[in-house]
Amino acid sequence: MALTETDVRGIADYARIALEGDELAQMTSYMNDAVDMLEPILAYNLPDVDPTFHPIGGLSNVMREDVCDSERGLSIDAALDNAGSSRDRYFRVPSILGEGDEA
Amino acid sequence: MANIDTLSARQIASAVASGELSALEVAQAALDAVEAREGEVQAFLQVTPELALAAADRVDAARAAGEALPPLAGVPVAVKDNMNLVGTRTTCASRMLESYESPYTATCVQRMLDAGCVPVGKTNMDEFAFGSSTDTSAFHPTNNPWNTSCVPGGSSGGSAAAVAAGEVPLALGSDTGGSIRQPAALCGVVGMKPTYGAVSRYGVVAFGSSLDQVGPFGRTVEDVALAMDALVTGGHDRCDSTSQEVAPVFAQHLDASIEGRRVGIIPSFMEAEGLSPEVRSAVESAAKALEAAGAELVEVDLPHLDAAIAAYYVIGPAEAFSNLARFDGVRYGYQEPNCRNLADQSSLSRAHGFGAEAKRRQMLGAYLLSSGIYDKYYYAAQKARTLITADYAAAYEKVDVIIMPASPQVAFEHGAISDPTQMYLSDMYTISINIAGNGGMTVPVGLGTDSGMPVAAQLVAPAFKDERLITFGAALERAFASDGAPIMGVAPAFSGKGGELA
Amino acid sequence: MKELTEVLRDWEAVIGLEIHTELTTLDTKMFCGCKLSHDDEPNTNVCPVCLGLPGALPVPNKRAIEYIVKAGLSTNCEIQKHSMFYRKHYFYPDMAKNFQTTQGPVAFAMHGRLDLEVTGRGAAERPECAFGAAEAESLASASAGAVGLSTEMARNLPEHMAHGGTGKDVAQNGSDPESAKTSALAGLSGYDTHGLAVPERHDDGSYTVPIRILRIHMEEDAAKMVHVGGEEGRIGGAAESLIDYNRCGTPLIELVTEPDLRTPEEARLFMEKLRRIFVTLGISDCSMEKGSMRCDGNVSLRRRGETRLGTKTELKNLNSFKALHDGLAYEICRQAEVLEEGGIIYQETRHWEPSRKRTVVMRTKETADDYRFFPDPDLAPFDLTDEFIEHCRSEIPELPDAKRDRYERDFGIKRADAEQIAGDPATAAFFEKAAAGLSGKEAQTVANLVVNELPAYLKSVAATLEDSGLTPEQVTTLAKLLASDAISSNQGHEVFVAMAETGEDPEKIVDERGMRQVSDTGALQPIVDEVLAACADQAQQYRDGNQKVLGFLVGQCMKASRGKGNPKLFNELLRQALS
Repeated sequence: MALTETDVRGIADYARIALEGDELAQMTSYMNDAVDMLEPILAYNLPDVDPTFHPIGGLSNVMREDVCDSERGLSIDAALDNAGSSRDRYFRVPSILGEGDEA
Repeated sequence: MANIDTLSARQIASAVASGELSALEVAQAALDAVEAREGEVQAFLQVTPELALAAADRVDAARAAGEALPPLAGVPVAVKDNMNLVGTRTTCASRMLESYESPYTATCVQRMLDAGCVPVGKTNMDEFAFGSSTDTSAFHPTNNPWNTSCVPGGSSGGSAAAVAAGEVPLALGSDTGGSIRQPAALCGVVGMKPTYGAVSRYGVVAFGSSLDQVGPFGRTVEDVALAMDALVTGGHDRCDSTSQEVAPVFAQHLDASIEGRRVGIIPSFMEAEGLSPEVRSAVESAAKALEAAGAELVEVDLPHLDAAIAAYYVIGPAEAFSNLARFDGVRYGYQEPNCRNLADQSSLSRAHGFGAEAKRRQMLGAYLLSSGIYDKYYYAAQKARTLITADYAAAYEKVDVIIMPASPQVAFEHGAISDPTQMYLSDMYTISINIAGNGGMTVPVGLGTDSGMPVAAQLVAPAFKDERLITFGAALERAFASDGAPIMGVAPAFSGKGGELA
Repeated sequence: MKELTEVLRDWEAVIGLEIHTELTTLDTKMFCGCKLSHDDEPNTNVCPVCLGLPGALPVPNKRAIEYIVKAGLSTNCEIQKHSMFYRKHYFYPDMAKNFQTTQGPVAFAMHGRLDLEVTGRGAAERPECAFGAAEAESLASASAGAVGLSTEMARNLPEHMAHGGTGKDVAQNGSDPESAKTSALAGLSGYDTHGLAVPERHDDGSYTVPIRILRIHMEEDAAKMVHVGGEEGRIGGAAESLIDYNRCGTPLIELVTEPDLRTPEEARLFMEKLRRIFVTLGISDCSMEKGSMRCDGNVSLRRRGETRLGTKTELKNLNSFKALHDGLAYEICRQAEVLEEGGIIYQETRHWEPSRKRTVVMRTKETADDYRFFPDPDLAPFDLTDEFIEHCRSEIPELPDAKRDRYERDFGIKRADAEQIAGDPATAAFFEKAAAGLSGKEAQTVANLVVNELPAYLKSVAATLEDSGLTPEQVTTLAKLLASDAISSNQGHEVFVAMAETGEDPEKIVDERGMRQVSDTGALQPIVDEVLAACADQAQQYRDGNQKVLGFLVGQCMKASRGKGNPKLFNELLRQALS
């Protein structure tokens, strides 16, 4: 049940990574190699072992008080400076549906 | 007078504190060394003379005003380019962030600055820290100071090379699967990945959030201990939920005795396919040196270690996909021009902003997290993590630290490993420590008998017992060098190039 | 299209709600210290965390966690001690990280229940056949077939990961553990109808119906987008969109009901009841107008007696209680028409257009979205302690239902009035002061003023109770004047407005304006005699059986007394004189 180019295209669409030229073929080959390499992990799906999502020992309930932290706030210039496109005080994106060609 | 590259961080700090050297002289010498050596090493993506000289001025002004100087006042430091520092770009060696100006400063960097360090620049790395060679940097490769046709390792290759070439005495790196310890081994410097949570990750561009940890490079164990003290001073970072309180007492453990303490050896690791004979004999000689210093060698078994690489390449890409999803060209980062709609803008910005390995990891991660796949792979990987962590815990019932290789081989030539899945195996000795979350440190022990390139041993310790790494690392240093000098020192081809202290 | 009540005789509407509430009374966002604000300039309250800048990390707001625990306890949920935050991925620029931090299969609060009292005309929406024990089958089959976030995730995840979801390690609210246990029916192969509470119908046509709550989870709100160049700010046809991240990261709790609702009226009442509870808890301003409380409805139809579920549609833009009712009512009738004509309902999201009174397709859902959920490694798991939960419980004020019952019991006021007063904390506090020590007619008169005069006045001057300057003492005095018939109810209205505007004592207003009603028979009898003499024709008409003319005679008496006579007494005296 190797991944097909169609499968990989679907993942790329989801992950918003356009694959161009022979990238699709290369990516498909890589993905299948990588998945093969990961095969041994399937043996570890053991019913009596709990997964460790957080390697932090027993640390839990980490919270902060509901207090304003104005020091970390960004000025409007600092917020927008790195943006590729902005208008007035807003970040700007092109048409979401785009020239009638729905994505 | 002396060259800046002959001085350790501790020596510089004490010379600045005593007035023997001004911070400005030190900063200028460091910048001079960088200038003279960068052409061949290419360790930096950005050199920051203005920041360095301004920081040095502040140190000198504080001293002139009679203020007490912080512990690393005047010590030049280089920072991996995935760490935010206001006044610098933070590019992660990616086109995606080529012109990204840091809007804030990472906690780890701020703590080095608070300790008096002088920031010299941002170092090269594998793009977004995906790699073990620094060759995947979008801008240029970095050369190994011991042989410039070889890689420095990665992903923190720029930081390791900058220290090995004598450009700076200290550098910060980050380690997700060995990205501090492997380049330290390949460049012949000391590199430490503390326990997950010991150092704040706030402001460090995330790769694998449950694996990433920041740590220092230095030429001596003492310098690494001093840097660790700086990084944990201030305790828990309120900006990082996973950071924990660690006492800044690493330097106090340099001289502790290892007499009667136990050092574990994992036989299967020493016999693993892919381990080069010269690295193996280097690790064996390091173990014998510890034995000669009074420690007892004990064989330990970690039965689930074989799952570590697969677990890592499930967890790492899954978290990387998630962490890198934010790079869509809207708020920051490369934005593809002239797109007719948002979906095209995102897909093309990401396609053209990211390099091949960054795209591969994200694609793999997006697949591994998808419905029906996630529960097979991700759960299995996190269960393997439970077992590997338990293996280490059981081993530490018997021993204080474990010694093992850091990298299976010495530095390889640029381009020698082209297959990405082959490259993944160069992390075979470092990955399990990130999976378990405990700390590890690379200590160089000399030059390989076959290659003449640096060889090293890796020490690993239980979670939040990172001071043992300092103790046993210092013991190794005493065994392989004399009088507190570094084991390896600056790579000979670069020693003394520029950097004269006036 | 057919009328709703007609449709619901043949078809059963299965309705579930997803209600998002911003915790607007907090000072800061969910995972960073940015100020919460609706009114600031765009992108004023932003920091590395809520802008999703590289390297930023989240730290949860403790008071937000307290709020959701309170919300759970107040809706009879089990508080789950063990839970984690998850990442829910979707690429859309209103989420700065392209994932939303939310909860996984285990939410802070799960398996709750609210009982609705459905009275009046709205009660008729549920047909007679939809009551009694047989409804248990309907509830169980609807739950088992429902596909929602948590049921889908529960199926996809190994069971043991749902820490505490099986009933252990939870803090019971104690009120109704039985119903809680039976609520997690989804995913079971057979229906467990045992112990399912069903609607009960009362003699007057009103009924009580229990609505189960699947979960309340904690998440963060998205940024606001402004679509420029399209029609009415809609996304279609927009040339570009602008993003303001001020709202991004606002603490948000999402309540998901079981699909237990069967009529638009029940949906409306559920939302109203929930709003009253949240306002009383002080966790949100719950403004549907401002969007701090938002509701999506899922609705499907099936023939009465059918156990398989029909295809559901999801309704958006239900931005008022009326929109919630009318949107669902329209959609039910639309689906019935399609089905009765042999058509098919497509799984799609539809937008309610209040001005045109119709729903239109927003997007079709051909395949389930794959959000690639996984536990957020940047956030430590939660392991809530008993102390934490008990602390939250101790801070919960008297809730609207309890308050309503107490008002009904202690002040003897009408249940409907008590319910309305108890729903708003400020009004309730005002009422309690105004009615302190009163009972019977006087207390009811206070209630009448608080229910009728007060909101009408506040609306006319666009003020809040607090800003209005009205005091409970004024209302007490006015109520006493009314209850003792010292003034008429028409005069009562005039005095209310006058005392609100001037801040003066109602007694003084009544005296100054000479309004005090004369209720002394001795003083009124001469006026009656005078009027009867002057209006002999009308008096004769009354004696001949024309009852209506009495009103004219009372009016003449009032006129003669210059409005001061007690109209009831005039009425009585006239009847006596003419009998």
